[in-house]
Amino acid sequence: MSPLRRYALIALCWTALGAAALSVRDGLVIRSDLRSFMPPARAADQRLVTEEIGNGPGAQLLLLAIGNAAPPQLARLSAGLAAALRTDPRFTRVLNGAEDVTSLDPALLPYRYLLSPTLDTARFDAAFLAAELEQREEDLATPGIGVLDDLLARDPTLEVLKLGQRWRPAHVPQVREGVWFSPQGEALLLAQTRAPGFDPAAQAGAIEALRRDFDGLPDAGAAQLTVSGPGYFAAAAAKTTRDEAERLSAIGVLGFALLLVLAYRSAGILAVVALPLAAGALGGLAAIGLTFGGVHGITLAFGFTLLGVAQEYPIRLFSHRRAGATVAASTADVWPLLRLAIVSACIAYLALAASGVPGLQQLALFTITGLLIAGAVTRWLLPEVVPLTFDDVAASPWLERLRARLAHMPRPRPLPWLVLAGALTAVSFAPTPAWQNDLAALAPIPQAQLQREGELRAALGAPDVRYLLVLEAASADGVLRLSEAIAPLTGQWMSRGIVDDIELPSRYLPSLATQRARQERLPDRATLTTALDAALADRDFQPGLFAPFVDDVETARSLPLLTPDAFMHSPFGARLQAMLVQRDGRWFGLAAVHGVRDAQELERGVRAAHGGDVRLLDLKTSSEALVADCRERILVALGAALALLAAAVAVAFRDARRAWHVIAPMSLATLAVVAVLRACGVSLSLFHLVALTLAAGLGLHYALFFERPVSDAAEARRTLHATLVCVISAVLVFGLLATSALPVLRAIGVTVALGVAFHFCLSTQMAQRRDR
Amino acid sequence: MLAAQAPPVPADAATLIAALARPAPASTAYTEVRFARPLRAPLVLHGQLDYGGGDRLGKRIDTPYRETTTIGAGVARVEREGHAPREISLERVPVLAALLGGLSALLGGDTAALADRYAIALGAEGDAWTLTLRPRAAELARHLRAIVVDGHGHEPGCLSLEEAEGDASVLLLGELARAPLAHAPTRAQLAAVCRHVGT
Repeated sequence: MSPLRRYALIALCWTALGAAALSVRDGLVIRSDLRSFMPPARAADQRLVTEEIGNGPGAQLLLLAIGNAAPPQLARLSAGLAAALRTDPRFTRVLNGAEDVTSLDPALLPYRYLLSPTLDTARFDAAFLAAELEQREEDLATPGIGVLDDLLARDPTLEVLKLGQRWRPAHVPQVREGVWFSPQGEALLLAQTRAPGFDPAAQAGAIEALRRDFDGLPDAGAAQLTVSGPGYFAAAAAKTTRDEAERLSAIGVLGFALLLVLAYRSAGILAVVALPLAAGALGGLAAIGLTFGGVHGITLAFGFTLLGVAQEYPIRLFSHRRAGATVAASTADVWPLLRLAIVSACIAYLALAASGVPGLQQLALFTITGLLIAGAVTRWLLPEVVPLTFDDVAASPWLERLRARLAHMPRPRPLPWLVLAGALTAVSFAPTPAWQNDLAALAPIPQAQLQREGELRAALGAPDVRYLLVLEAASADGVLRLSEAIAPLTGQWMSRGIVDDIELPSRYLPSLATQRARQERLPDRATLTTALDAALADRDFQPGLFAPFVDDVETARSLPLLTPDAFMHSPFGARLQAMLVQRDGRWFGLAAVHGVRDAQELERGVRAAHGGDVRLLDLKTSSEALVADCRERILVALGAALALLAAAVAVAFRDARRAWHVIAPMSLATLAVVAVLRACGVSLSLFHLVALTLAAGLGLHYALFFERPVSDAAEARRTLHATLVCVISAVLVFGLLATSALPVLRAIGVTVALGVAFHFCLSTQMAQRRDR
Repeated sequence: MLAAQAPPVPADAATLIAALARPAPASTAYTEVRFARPLRAPLVLHGQLDYGGGDRLGKRIDTPYRETTTIGAGVARVEREGHAPREISLERVPVLAALLGGLSALLGGDTAALADRYAIALGAEGDAWTLTLRPRAAELARHLRAIVVDGHGHEPGCLSLEEAEGDASVLLLGELARAPLAHAPTRAQLAAVCRHVGT
């Protein structure tokens, strides 16, 4: 092939890949919501947990503080930001303290006597009304302090005001200049996102929009907006991790390129070395796009990690080129083994597809497609585009010295068994818990930010993100009855200082029975008129002023009761709608818990209260249990993968002994990595498992190629050269990740770098053929 | 005789406002006659006003019942005997906020601040004068028609809040707080009391 044609072909390949990348990017939705990576929930309660982990009332709240300006300006900024966010569909609720507690949906106005608890303890008799009216007269003395005149005539007992206060969070910040202020003099706001709290991409989008709105305010000036809350942390952690990974990977890729130029004394191969991996990744993405429509962010991260195996394919092809033979001939020589590696890895990854976890199924599809395409590109495209001139690596004298030394290294037979025994001992006696189930621990939040979040949450009286009180009943009204039944108890918990507030659903809507009881206590028109006249005797109110009150009471007496369904679909019922959910024919009430002071005491109180119908949901424990469950499935899947791999290799070799030479070092090295990590006190996470899998994939190559029967020492040198380039590049790229301060990157980096080193050492010991 | 001793009526509002300035803290007894539309007769209240300087104002009612309203940092706190205190953001009670703003500007002698928010008119009749403040902001004008201060020499006598909807408060200050009033005084009777300040 002429050099010109070769260059044209390379350019064509990259152009085609670029075009493919653009179309894949447009057609692929990348989701970052953690929950799609969790196993499908089996029980209704478990499903509730997976949904509430991200959708709980606490998790969707962004806590905002505006500081660094004079209070009047801060108040204007608060109002401006709230107004802007209220028109943004990304936010479902924005509170800044300026909301009018005296407002009530006009449609609900007649229902106030059924919604307000006044009639539970009082009757509208002459004595009660006289006391109320005296107050109203005094209210009139201070302009604006009472209720508006038209409301006074309809509602002299101030039920609307009582409901407004009842529906307002128990602990709200101080109001200055008409908006909430923190004790430190910052304007405070609460913004509830539509997106779940642990969807970092959606949260990042919402936060970006929020900052844009703030910067666009006319007098933002030097004022500073602080954003906090679970969504912010999720977005910030994702960004930090991505930035750091990109930075370290960029250095790693540079080092890798340098290594390739040194190893092959050719800069030209840089133009083609990435073709298999790029094509494989794009193919994997396209396959997911076509099958699932969207892809999970973690699937992508894991998938790209696992696909790293494919970077070995072109290296094998380059190192095995022989002087005097065409590239087609040398490729054809190594292809059967490479094909075996690819196919057996693909068969192994089928186990992930069977795991039942959507994220893992995507991962399997991505990886299998990617490996097959990368293999095909290496076999059929790469030979067409590799540089025509090359050095036969077998000619280098130092390689021969190294090969000879490795070949003559003692191979004590008991060594593998000693490694096995040592590893098992280390694993059994490791000092720390075996597993890290708290995903948050892998992307820790700086202490200062965590403290700030706590301050803002306390100042805003925002609900706890961790706990949720769950009430279960056969119907929505049953949940409300249960809620009323435990209301005195939650009141006790609050007064005992165990918890600041529990926002029960019955605070917003009483049960039908309670509404009926209140309705029955409303006096008829004649009785009320008599009582009112008596109460008005000592007062100076205009005659007939309270006729609208008498009419409203009369209306309320015959109103159909307000059902949960009707209330939830009124504009004011959005709060209740978020608190009452139906799952599998059962109804669940979700009561936000504010300011847990003593979790143990609260848990004890809840358990003693109402058996199984009232439960305190600890979202942290529950999500950790889900992660553990998910990990168990991955472990089983990986175990099955190993079995499949061994079977595939054995079938291909038709020789169990040769298969053992390949599988044994790979398995032992994996175990050794686990042992070292555990002995160092590392608790394993999902990320370690994925990294172990990648390392095992690389180790499989080392073992397969070392085990390959070769005709001469030159070919053995080429095998060693390829393996060395692979090992050094993997140690370089992943060793860099291992230097990161971020636990998730360190986990992947340390595991792969360590794994590659162990796989190499054990392969030379156990798989490499004796010098013939 | 008395009229001769009193200082002459200042020629313009700015001079008058400057002359009305009092160093904080300043206190004065008051009698308030409150006309509210839901009532057929006005409420008559006695108590004390305490101006603490800046945006701090206290208004104490002694009879016919006891209540203390303290305004500061944008919040009005109302404590009525036998009831839980209430805190209301001043934005919710614009008339109270305007009263505070007007009083603090008057007592501070800050003509510029007053002129910023109100159109000021000064009328004089003999040694008595009437300062009328009409809100400039449409938002406040929806609630408050005018603050009217009647006085004589350098002494304010009456402060009236004319609300947009027809309600009104007339505060008789200082000496006038002790003036005898009818059981249910009318606006006309009060106007007469205020106009005869100093005579």
